[in-house]
Amino acid sequence: MVIVIMGDEAKNSSTATEDVSQLNQDELIMAQQRQIEKEISETIPLVGDLENILLLEHEYSNDDVYQEKVKNLAKKYKSIRRTRPDGNCFFRAFSFAYIERLLDKKEDFDAFYKKTAKSKDDLVELGFQQFTVEDFYDTYLDVLKRVGDIAEVEGAKTELHSLFNDQGYSDYMVVYLRLLTSGQLQKEKDFYSCFIEGHTTVEDFCHQEVEPMYKESDHIHIIAACAALGTGVRVVYMDRGTGKAVTEHDLPEGCVPSVHLLYRPGHYDILYPI
Amino acid sequence: MAGMSPSEKRLQKELMSLMKEPPPGVSVDAEIAEQNLLLWIIRMEGVSGTLYEGEQFELQFKFSNKYPFDSPEVTFVGNNIPVHPHVYSNGHICLSILTDDWSPALSVQSVCLSIVSMLSSCKEKKRPPDNAFYVKTCNKNPKKTKWWYHDDSV
Repeated sequence: MVIVIMGDEAKNSSTATEDVSQLNQDELIMAQQRQIEKEISETIPLVGDLENILLLEHEYSNDDVYQEKVKNLAKKYKSIRRTRPDGNCFFRAFSFAYIERLLDKKEDFDAFYKKTAKSKDDLVELGFQQFTVEDFYDTYLDVLKRVGDIAEVEGAKTELHSLFNDQGYSDYMVVYLRLLTSGQLQKEKDFYSCFIEGHTTVEDFCHQEVEPMYKESDHIHIIAACAALGTGVRVVYMDRGTGKAVTEHDLPEGCVPSVHLLYRPGHYDILYPI
Repeated sequence: MAGMSPSEKRLQKELMSLMKEPPPGVSVDAEIAEQNLLLWIIRMEGVSGTLYEGEQFELQFKFSNKYPFDSPEVTFVGNNIPVHPHVYSNGHICLSILTDDWSPALSVQSVCLSIVSMLSSCKEKKRPPDNAFYVKTCNKNPKKTKWWYHDDSV
C-alpha cells in the first residue's frame, strides 16, 4: 500500500494549490486515494468474522517482538474480529462489540434500548438539527429493535453481524455514535476542554474531529463515547515497543470493561477474552 | 415518501424545512428543486451593514446519491459572484465544511449559514491571490481540488 504525502511546497500556496504540476498532482493524489479505498473495501469487510487470536502470528512471521506479543495476547484472548481500516474503525468496532455483548443479557439490552430511545431529544436540545439527527437515530433504533426481537441469542448476533456489514445500516450506526459522542463532549465541555490541544473550542473540535466520517479516534473520543453509552472499554496496545507484554488501558480508568479492543498504531479491532 | 432512496428522503425533509423556515436572507427555488431533488438553486442576500449589503447572489447545490455521507458540491453561479478572498471568480468556494470537515450532521441550511457568515465577516473585497491561475486550470468540480484551509478569520 502506498501512502501519499503532499509536498511541503503546497503549504505555502495561498488558497488552492498553485503551479500546474501541483494541480495535476491533486487529481492524481485523489485518484490514488480512491484506488486505495477501493482496494480496502473490496478485501476487508466492515466487521469481519471471528478468527483465532493465534492467526495474528502469521502477520508477523518475521518479527520476533510481535510474535512474542501475540503469544502473550493469546493468554487472555481467544479470538479477534477485524474491522475495516477506514477511519471509522473505533466507532464501528465499539458499537458492534457493545451491542453484541448486550445481547447476552436481556435486561441490559432493554435498559440500553430505553436509554438510546431518549437520546435524540438530548441531541436536539444541544442544538443539533432535528432532521439531521433523525435519520441516524431512526436507523440506530431500528437495528436495535431488529436484533432485540430475535429470541435466540446466536441468531440475533448473526443478524447484528450482517447489518453491520451492510453499508446502508453500518455507516448510520457509526454516524449516530459519532453524534452521541459529540453531544457528550459538548454537554460536559468544561471537563473535556482540558484534553483538547491548542485554542480549539470543544464545539470546533466536535465539528472537525468527531462528527465527520473517517476521522480517526483518540483517547478523548473513546472516553466520551464510553460516557455516552454508559460503559467502559479496555484498549490493548500492541506496537513494536520493547517488552514482551502488550499494554492495557481501561477507559474510563477503573471501569469494568464491557468491550475489549486491540489497538495497533492507527487501527482498532475487537478482542474476545477467554 | 415511499419508494424514495435515503438521500432523496433526507433532501425532501431539508427542502420542506428550508421552504418553511429559511434563515434570514436565504431562499430556495422550490420549483427547480422539486423538478430534480439533486440540484438546487438558493438565493442569498448580502447582509445589511456588511460589504455585501444590497447584493444578490445565487448558490448552486449539487447532491450525489450518497448524500448526506458525501458533501454537496456548492458553487456560486449567475452573474454576481461575490468578490471575496475565499471565492474564485468561477464561483468555487474555499470552505472546509464543503470537503474535509463535512459531516452528515450538517445540512443545506448549515452550509448557507456558514457562507453568510463567511461573507459577513469580510473586511476587504478582493479575489483570492491565485484566482487567475486557479480559474484557468481547475477541475469543473471544486471537490476535486485539494484545498488548504489556512485562515478562518475572513
